[in-house]
Amino acid sequence: MNKLSVNLRVNGRGYDLEVASNKTLLEVLRDQLNLPDTKYGCGTGECGACTVLIDGEVVNSCLTLAAAADGREIRTAVGLEKNGQLHPVQQAFIEETAVQCGYCIPGMVVKSVGLLEKNPDPSEEEIRHWLEGNICRCTGYEKIVDAVKSASKKMASAEVKAVG
Amino acid sequence: MSSRILTDFDLLVPETVPEALEMLNRLQDQVTVVSGGTDVLVAMKFGFDTPYGMSLAKLAGLNYLEFDPQQGLRVGARTTITQLLESPEVKQYYPAIWESAVNFATPQIRNTATLVGNLLRASPAGDGSCAVYALGGKLVFSNEAGEREVDIDDLWVGYATTARNKDELATELRIPIPAANSINAFKRMTRVNEDLAKLNVAVNLTMDGNVCTDARVAMGCVAATPVRLRQTEDLLKGAEINEESLKSLMATVSAEITPIDDQRSTAEYRKQVSGVMVKRAIEQARDRVTA
Repeated sequence: MNKLSVNLRVNGRGYDLEVASNKTLLEVLRDQLNLPDTKYGCGTGECGACTVLIDGEVVNSCLTLAAAADGREIRTAVGLEKNGQLHPVQQAFIEETAVQCGYCIPGMVVKSVGLLEKNPDPSEEEIRHWLEGNICRCTGYEKIVDAVKSASKKMASAEVKAVG
Repeated sequence: MSSRILTDFDLLVPETVPEALEMLNRLQDQVTVVSGGTDVLVAMKFGFDTPYGMSLAKLAGLNYLEFDPQQGLRVGARTTITQLLESPEVKQYYPAIWESAVNFATPQIRNTATLVGNLLRASPAGDGSCAVYALGGKLVFSNEAGEREVDIDDLWVGYATTARNKDELATELRIPIPAANSINAFKRMTRVNEDLAKLNVAVNLTMDGNVCTDARVAMGCVAATPVRLRQTEDLLKGAEINEESLKSLMATVSAEITPIDDQRSTAEYRKQVSGVMVKRAIEQARDRVTA
């Protein structure tokens, strides 16, 4: 089995790595870069616990070969905070008590950021359709949907302040 | 981590089509081609094993979607389901494809999976496969000697098996412009949206007023490959589309299919709902025109 040299940019930092040809991006994030915030759930692209942003697009890192991510910009949940401040989506998940066991939450948060960056004011239907592919076995999703709505409002008002 | 780990293989990462074709010519069926990888990597985690994998991630120039009002649609081999959804021309001229893309798995999968990959995985449940089958089209296969077109009618030769030769790379899907006065639509039935279909259907009807003059009807999850319902097509041709004709059509669809029991549904249920799904797809296409 061969190894390939790759350059990954993860949460703003560049890494030059040798990765085994059959390693997924999820395995490299967790085992080689010591970034365990991205979770392993099903390994087959159904649960969304492993969701990361690659060049701004949500992707299952368990179904992405690490070598195929060479040169790409990757963001994970732990990279969302800025200057010690949680991302508005993370803050909203806390305020709306959208978290119970927490295992799905990094994927949920990354997925929600992926939505709001493309569609800052989604309808409830759009939020629910977008969150398909991220499974939570605790909450029943209501609080998660509330958190995304609340984050959307907060981000809009922050934008107004910044402009004003 | 769980036992769902990938088998050992050497990974090839060609950056040009000629480079990829040289590799395929040299290594033939020792290579598994990975484009989006959302289905084939799952198979590889469950033991599907070849000495080489070939990632198309760095293959430049194959993620295009080009529409020409005379020629139709050209879909590059690396074009994702999300790209189809974002195309106003796909939505306007090929609603069957657009509707198959809306609920295609999940946003993560739609961002990665390709329409050409959906066809080549040759799953009887492929939503993209079903939609394209009803519209008709040709898949372009390239090897070092040149390229050839394979009609979608000749693509699937058995369960999970296509007419692709082992030295060939699929490079483009060509879908003709729908005939004037034609309508097309796609419908699927699942437990929840992101599930694989328990049954899917696509129709493409050419209409003269309320009379159907030509028809293609494709159905998935009811045989070893996606199938065309030839008898249903024959019944539709020349028929006026109304409540009565749709009702009699509903009764005959189930005789054309050979579904099985599996984890998503049963043969009996699929037989029962197949006619209803054809009726609803036709109504969906018709209602969209009148709206």
